[in-house]
This record gives sequence, C-alpha cells and structure tokens, in this order.
Amino acid sequence: MITHLSMEQLVALRDGDRSEPGHAEAHRHFAGCSRCQVELDRLHQRTARLRALPTLVPAGNEFPAVRQRIAVERRQRNWRTAATVGIAAAATLVFAIIGRDIVHPTRLDAEQQLQSAMSTSQQLEHQLHAWNSDQRVVDGRTAMVVIQLENQIADLDAQLVAAATLQRTARIEHELKLWRQRVGLMNALVDVHLTNASSVGL
Amino acid sequence: MDAISLPDADAVIARARLGDPVALEALYRAYATPVYNLSRRICRTTEDAEDILQETFFEVCRSIRNYRGDGSIWGWIRSVASSKALMRLRRNKYRDTDELNDDFAPTRAATPGLRMDLESALARLSETARAVVWLHDVEGYTHEEIAGQMGKTVSFSKSQLARAHTRLRSWLGEESLA
Ligand SMILES: [Zn+2]
Repeated sequence: MITHLSMEQLVALRDGDRSEPGHAEAHRHFAGCSRCQVELDRLHQRTARLRALPTLVPAGNEFPAVRQRIAVERRQRNWRTAATVGIAAAATLVFAIIGRDIVHPTRLDAEQQLQSAMSTSQQLEHQLHAWNSDQRVVDGRTAMVVIQLENQIADLDAQLVAAATLQRTARIEHELKLWRQRVGLMNALVDVHLTNASSVGL
Repeated sequence: MDAISLPDADAVIARARLGDPVALEALYRAYATPVYNLSRRICRTTEDAEDILQETFFEVCRSIRNYRGDGSIWGWIRSVASSKALMRLRRNKYRDTDELNDDFAPTRAATPGLRMDLESALARLSETARAVVWLHDVEGYTHEEIAGQMGKTVSFSKSQLARAHTRLRSWLGEESLA
C-alpha cells in the first residue's frame, strides 16, 4: 500500500521547509507520484485563491473615536500631573508664607500672585471639567487646536515638576511665570470649547 | 498587501512621532483598510474587526514614538493589528468554549456533491486555523512569528496550517476531483 504525502508534508514542500523529519523521503516520493504532484498544484491554486480574495473595507471612519480616546487619556494624565504639581506648589507656598516675616518680608507680592494664578488655573480646569469637554463632539480643526493647547499645557506641567528642584526664591518666580502661562493656555482652551459649542449651536 | 504607498511617508512618520494629529490621521487613512481586512479575515464579526481597527490605531498613536524605522511602517502597524486580533481570539475563545471545535461539526460541505465557495469555507474554519492560514499564506508571516504572537510552538502553527488546508480542500469539493 502506497502512503501519499500528508498535508503537512505538502505544505513543507510548497514552502521549501527542510526542517521536517523525513524530508528527503517525502521529496523522493513526490518526484515519482503524480497524485501528490496534483495535490501540490491544488495547494498552490488554493493559496493563490486565498490571496486573490477581495479586500474588505471598513464601513465607517474609526479615527474620530481614536482621537477622542487619546484626548481622554491625555486629559486624565494632565489632571494627575496637575494634582501632583498643585500639591507640591501648595507646600512651597505654605512654607514660604510661614517663613516670610522672618526671612523674606518683601516677597509677599510674588507669593500672593502665584497663589492667585494657581487658583485661577484651577477654576478654569473645573470649568472645563464641568463643561465635560472630553465627551463633546468637536470638528477636526477644533480638535487639532485643543490637542495642541493640551500638549502645551502638558509641557508646562512637566516644567513645573522640574521647577521643584530649584532654590526657593528662584522657584517662586519661575513657578509664577509658568502658572501665568498655564492660565493663558487654559483660557484659550475654554475659549476654543465655547466658540466651537456656539458655532455648532450647543 | 506590502505595496501600500504613503506619499511622503518619512515626513508623515516624523510628524506623527511628534504627535501631529494631521499626520496621525494620514497614517490612519493610508492603513485603515489593510488593518481592517486583516482583522476581519481573522475575526468572525464586523464588530470585532471595527474594534480591532480602533484598538490598533489607538496603540499606533500612543506608541509611534517607539517605532524606530527599522522595517516598514506597514510591517509595524500590521504586527500591532495582528497581535490585537489574536488577543481578541483568545478572549472570544474563553467566552465561547462551546464553539472551539466547530470545524469538526457537520456542515453543508459535508454533504456529498455540495461545494462551498472559498469565503464560506474560510469562515467555517476554527478561529485559530483561519488566523494561521491567513497570517501565513496571505500576509506572509513565518511560523516562528505566528508562534511568537500566539504564545504557541512552531509545530502548533504548522499543524494548524495543514489542518486548515485539509478542511478547505474537503469543503471546496476538491477531494472528488482526485
Ligand atoms: Zn503520492
């Protein structure tokens, strides 16, 4: 009784895979067996037919959903960073205010301004959060502006984290500058969301 | 599937790595269809394929900074897509253990004289066998790559491929031609 090649042996033959045990015997059998030669032809044809199947096309555009998920993730990351930075900055302030009459009586202005900028920034964050901006549909152009503003805010937050290593006097001045920039960006972000909302009649 | 061209690919990739949303969307537009096709050929439903399309590009947008440019961008995106699709198969199998051996169940093709078209025969294969035959014979993955992505051995991948072809041969009515 003749044992013909198994499908696994035929596939190995098609793919030039010589790692299978019994490869040489399979090759010898194949050379003299017309039935196995027909089977290999069929395997080739089946593979060609698989490759020729029509390309299936998605029904809708998934990219807006992708963009939305990225925005949500970035916002969550910004909130976490802002919370960390906020705590660090608040600790700096408490220390500065406690010690100011003894050590640096003239820096009251800078500290008060820093606290005011932080509080304004926080109010704007809350405004955006209450507005639920991540869940609202925005057009592509607005989404781009939002992403760019959020990127800049994330960069500022990174600088605020880095500022924690500065000496205290330099730090308060540097932080004041950064928090003021942050307030500017947050204002722009609120504007973009409100403008977009009014332009689409929300 | 390898010949997808993205005009000005290097510049688009460079901008995408900086998080430029326009460049990321350009990548989506260039590769959404092949990613969807691969996902849909491997998974059973259009919903699964749409989910994988979204998952893949979410991952691409987050991780493109890590793409080093060694190998084609399509090769990289495709490996993200196939890994998401195989992850989905594992999840579905866990959920639908009853369907594990569905390609052994009697089918229309088992009736003598009734041949299936290739689309139906492919759809009838077990999810693992279909994934292996598609990734190997159409997408050009090696058995080593498939084994690595599936967390299985090379011989598992080889036997799944042979099994897929045995079933396809039978369901396409090729046995009666012998
Ligand atoms: Zn033979």
